[in-house]
Amino acid sequence: MLDKMPQGVTTRIDNDAARRDRSVEHDVVDLYEAPMWLWHWVNAAAILVLGVTGYFIGTGTAAMLGQPSNSLVFRYIRFVHFSAGYVLTVGFLLRIYLALVGNSHARQIFYVPLWRRCFWSELWHALRWYAFLAAKPEKHVGHNPLALLAMFFMFTLTSAFMIVTGFALYAQGSGNDSWQYQLFGWVFAIWPNSQDVHTWHHLGLWVIVCFALVHIYAVIWEAVVSRRSIRSSMISGEREFRG
Amino acid sequence: MGVKTPNGFKLDGAGKRVVVDPLTRIEGHLRVEVNLDSDNVIRNAVSSGTMWRGIETILRGRDPRDAWAFTERICGVCTGTHALTSVRAVENALGITIPENANSIRNIMQLCLQVHDHLVHFYHLHALDWVDVVSALKADPKATSRLAQSISSWPLSSPGYFKDLQIRLTKFFDSGQLGPFKNAYWGHPAYKLAPESNLMAVAHYLEALDFQKEIVKIHAVYGGKNPHPNWLVGGVPCAINVDGTGAVGAINMERLNLVSSIIDRSIEFVEKVYLPDVAAIGSVYKDWLHGGGLSAKSVMSYGDIPETANDYSAANLKLPRGVILDGNLNEVLPIDHGDSEQIQEFVAHSWYKYPDESSGLHPWDGVTEPNFQLGANFKGAKTDIRELDEGGKYSWIKAPRWRGNAVEVGPLARYIIGYAQGKAEFADPTDRLLKTLDLPVTALFSTLGRTAARALECQWAAHQMRYFQEKLVAHIKAGDTSTANTTKWKPESWPREAKGYGFTEAPRGALGHWIKVKDTKIDNYQCVVPTTWNGSPRDPKGNIGAFEAALIDTPMADPERPLEILRTIHSFDPCLACSTH
Amino acid sequence: MGAATETFYNVIRRQGITRRSFLKFCGLTAVSLGLGPLAASHIANALETKPRLPVIWMHGLECTCCSESFIRSAHPLVKDAVLSMISLDYDDTIMAAAGHQAEAILEETRVKYKGQYVLAVEGNPPLNEDGMFCIDGGKPFVEKLRSMADDCMAIIAWGTCASWGCVQAAKPNPTGATPIDKVITNKPIIKVPGCPPIAEVMTGVVTFITTFGKLPELDRQGRPKMFYSQRIHDKCYRRPHFDAGQFVEEWDDEGARKGYCLYKMGCKGPTTYNACSTVRWNGGISFPIQSGHGCFACPEDGFWDRGSAYDHLTTIKQFGIEKTADQIGMAAAGAVGLSVAAHAVVTAAKRLTRKGDGAAQDNHRG
Ligand code: HEM
Ligand code: HEM
Ligand code: NFV
Ligand code: SF4
Ligand code: SF4
Ligand code: F3S
Ligand SMILES: [Mg+2]
Repeated sequence: MLDKMPQGVTTRIDNDAARRDRSVEHDVVDLYEAPMWLWHWVNAAAILVLGVTGYFIGTGTAAMLGQPSNSLVFRYIRFVHFSAGYVLTVGFLLRIYLALVGNSHARQIFYVPLWRRCFWSELWHALRWYAFLAAKPEKHVGHNPLALLAMFFMFTLTSAFMIVTGFALYAQGSGNDSWQYQLFGWVFAIWPNSQDVHTWHHLGLWVIVCFALVHIYAVIWEAVVSRRSIRSSMISGEREFRG
Repeated sequence: MGVKTPNGFKLDGAGKRVVVDPLTRIEGHLRVEVNLDSDNVIRNAVSSGTMWRGIETILRGRDPRDAWAFTERICGVCTGTHALTSVRAVENALGITIPENANSIRNIMQLCLQVHDHLVHFYHLHALDWVDVVSALKADPKATSRLAQSISSWPLSSPGYFKDLQIRLTKFFDSGQLGPFKNAYWGHPAYKLAPESNLMAVAHYLEALDFQKEIVKIHAVYGGKNPHPNWLVGGVPCAINVDGTGAVGAINMERLNLVSSIIDRSIEFVEKVYLPDVAAIGSVYKDWLHGGGLSAKSVMSYGDIPETANDYSAANLKLPRGVILDGNLNEVLPIDHGDSEQIQEFVAHSWYKYPDESSGLHPWDGVTEPNFQLGANFKGAKTDIRELDEGGKYSWIKAPRWRGNAVEVGPLARYIIGYAQGKAEFADPTDRLLKTLDLPVTALFSTLGRTAARALECQWAAHQMRYFQEKLVAHIKAGDTSTANTTKWKPESWPREAKGYGFTEAPRGALGHWIKVKDTKIDNYQCVVPTTWNGSPRDPKGNIGAFEAALIDTPMADPERPLEILRTIHSFDPCLACSTH
Repeated sequence: MGAATETFYNVIRRQGITRRSFLKFCGLTAVSLGLGPLAASHIANALETKPRLPVIWMHGLECTCCSESFIRSAHPLVKDAVLSMISLDYDDTIMAAAGHQAEAILEETRVKYKGQYVLAVEGNPPLNEDGMFCIDGGKPFVEKLRSMADDCMAIIAWGTCASWGCVQAAKPNPTGATPIDKVITNKPIIKVPGCPPIAEVMTGVVTFITTFGKLPELDRQGRPKMFYSQRIHDKCYRRPHFDAGQFVEEWDDEGARKGYCLYKMGCKGPTTYNACSTVRWNGGISFPIQSGHGCFACPEDGFWDRGSAYDHLTTIKQFGIEKTADQIGMAAAGAVGLSVAAHAVVTAAKRLTRKGDGAAQDNHRG
């Protein structure tokens, strides 16, 4: 089982794991502690804002003829984008911290154990389950392998990518002497024409949109079909296997 | 021994072969080889374009609205003329009309190019074929001043002015670092000017260098920059706003005044410096009437500078249009760019591949597929060519023909056709110049004639700029500020398939672009360029092009120092990036 | 000018450079050439006695608009640059000599000014067809480029051609046109991109070397920081309209006449590093945006292959068909949405049929 992977780095975490193993038996897992819960929703909100403002940045706002020339619509849009970008980034760093100090579930979205056979067999099972071919879902604590793949590639990596490219783009405005350029200017060594960085950053938006679509659907579906309280877990921090 | 080409030139490749490569003071890479007889007279000439960039290939599959920017980069010397030709081709294919103001502004920009390009060509690319800079060091500044004042009222003509210049030149030469004047042909017997004329010409070489950058400010106003100003399918990108909010960022009164003052100064420079210099230099070299080549036989001009927008018929074009064949000045033949029998390109002697190389292709069906191979009798190695074999493929330039005829294009062609059509604005200044020099009309068919026609055209173009600038202002006055037609800007409004052509008279001659559009993308794009005509290699029938023809029968004083070859080739103002594209 | 000649040393001393920094320059030059410490004093000696900085200007595949731009310089005037500041010993576009007399200058320079001349390259070498898409003196241009690069002090890569490849390197790049730094890897290369670069930027780079006696500081992409470290957009006079969301929507519309921002007409100012919006063109008269056309990123790597100049979003060709990020993204999101919807429908159908079967098994309740 995926969730039986040894993850002991510190005793505390081992204890954690032990507690979790016990709790599986009790069918209730104290998965999402408050900080996780908080992070999830701040993150979701930031991404929503980034997506909408980012889309406008990429498209340009509708005609503003006749508007007073002191209107700063576009500047505000960009300002909100950058602010949300900072929120996302701080949240991401916080999330990494939680992964380091939290339980094994907290680390799940940062790696996919592709090298484990059980991962693949469980993935196969999950695929069959979602394709209505399996009679029963396997019980997972945390994310099932399919969700994990989506989380890791479409959320974690993409978020990191958006942060890196976002700050590189930000460095264009703040100048080559800014800390943003010092930290992220190397991006332009990969794409000397920064137009490419815009393009990839823009494509990232759509990766995240796709993720969100699948993610939200999966949450609802699981809640309805698997009868797991997956939905409430993000709300209460607990997951309960009913039945 | 020797052969006669179908277009009437005797070629004999038996004698000593002289190679000039790189042929400098031109745009791009050109190689010329000639054979001399025992009297050092040129009996065979081979001209080879030695670069190819593949712009036509690169254009395929792209947005037709972008084509102007790609084709503009064919050449930075005749900058903008390909762009204009391209937007015309796209507009022709898609049925897009342009506002009257856009026509005026485009004309001003095209004329501005003519003025600039002709001036720079004469002073910086051609003059040193006639002017001996070292001889200028020996001139008497006072006598130079007298000479200058006798031919023009141009103010920079005092003895002190020439003296200062001479001191600067002397120090420059004494430094031993001759820069661009190094290793040249100073003292060559073909130089005939007196030291004073040379000094005056060098002064004007430097003045023209200063002044040319002023002329193109007109491009900067309407197109944002020069070289490579911006153009637009459907009109011009610069909006007009002379009397409202935000006018300061558009074509406004200050911008119009700026253009106007540059036009005035351009007219003055051309009339007080360029034309008198050409007459003065011409009067000394008027016995050197070599280099006529094709000009006495077959010349062609597409015509350009439409008086009103969207009408490209001969009657509406201010530059003459038509073809003269076999020296028959009594008949100017009409041109149809869409007729597949008229303009065709051949590649039998060019480094390209056709399915059937004995026949030509009309540009709509044109193919540009490189195929570098040297003729059986070339000397050297593939990457170290010592002598080309003109019996095989020998140039990156294709061979365009009009109804199978090699023709010369350019200012001289335009003036000959205008002259033949009896158009006073071309015939009268020509007659006046010939009279000053005491030469017959036939003297036009020469290297010197080419150089003179260019100067006359420069003056004509400068005045036409004034005309269209006034027309533009009159339209604005009448309340018309429109500069672009955007009804067919969006690709969704285009037909699924379309084809068209655009043409201009570029500084170096007749320029055409042919386009086929399919599913909103370029399906085929072909350019047939002035220097493609003039610098063309032989065609399958053996007709030689204008460069080669012009060199035939020219005597060389010193084959080691090919000044005469430079002189005649330069008189065409060759542009090799253009010719091969 | 001095007694008879003015040396490079005279020129830079007159510009206020100390002997110390002059010697430092020589040391750095020696290092950049991979020569030992002895060479530094040799170079110093040479520059003190040798005159103006020799410049060899070569042309590969290009359109000569970089040369044309260079001669537009207003300060310094190009005649002063050529007569007094540098020694332009070879430039096929303006030099008086031709043929073997011209070729001889190259050989002479290599020997006489070894390690002391600047090689200015306009255009680039094609590498396909053994380099024979650009032939010079019967040989591939790339050979000439390599041999002149061997003994030069530094290379100036003029324009987008030499810096990045430019139009002839646009897809499918039939000639294999290759930027200079991909061919010459052992010399300092100053990229001065632009199609063409601004005249005063060009003469500015050249005279910086003769005035301060050193090569300019370069950014990550090898461009002089002094002219290429800010975007068109950073200093664009239409920027307030950008901030206000006031955009030109169509050519020659009211916004165009009022000078609104050209972002939606495809302006690439936000991603383009150049000095147009500050130095401007042709003696400060204008620059593309001031004359109503968006910037199309002419000094940027591969700008020809980033979709139409008029599309705001880059066209991506990697995905088979040409689409923008939004088109690809919306298609992907649409596909995902559809799959999700289909999945939901099947789920609902299954549940219904199960109920109809009367087999009221719910897996989980078992
Ligand atoms: C999920 C996260 C994000 C999404 C979906 C997103 C989306 C977008 C989009 C679609 C654009 C328009 C790109 C274009 O020009 O076509 C954009 C631009 C930009 N984004 Fe983001 N972004 C995200 C995160 C960030 C972050 C973390 C930063 C860092 C501060 C950031 C900074 C920027 C900047 C500086 C621009 C360019 C603004 C301009 O051109 O004026 N983004 N973003
Ligand atoms: C209606 C909106 C949303 C709901 C109801 C929701 C609900 C949930 C639930 C129930 C989980 C736990 C899933 C599990 O353990 O398998 C979860 C995890 C997660 N959600 Fe959401 N979510 C929403 C929106 C979003 C959005 C917009 C994003 C970002 C694009 C997002 C990103 C994540 C991530 C990254 C996790 C994994 C957290 C972890 O395990 O470290 N969610 N969400
Ligand atoms: N030949 C040619 Fe051009 C011209 N004039 C273009 O069409 O020079 Ni570059
Ligand atoms: S960089 Fe542009 S301007 Fe310069 S030579 Fe190349 S094509 Fe011409
Ligand atoms: S016109 Fe271009 S460079 Fe200027 S503000 Fe708008 S987007 Fe930026
Ligand atoms: S297109 Fe080029 S000229 Fe300047 S404004 Fe843009 S960098
Ligand atoms: Mg062609």
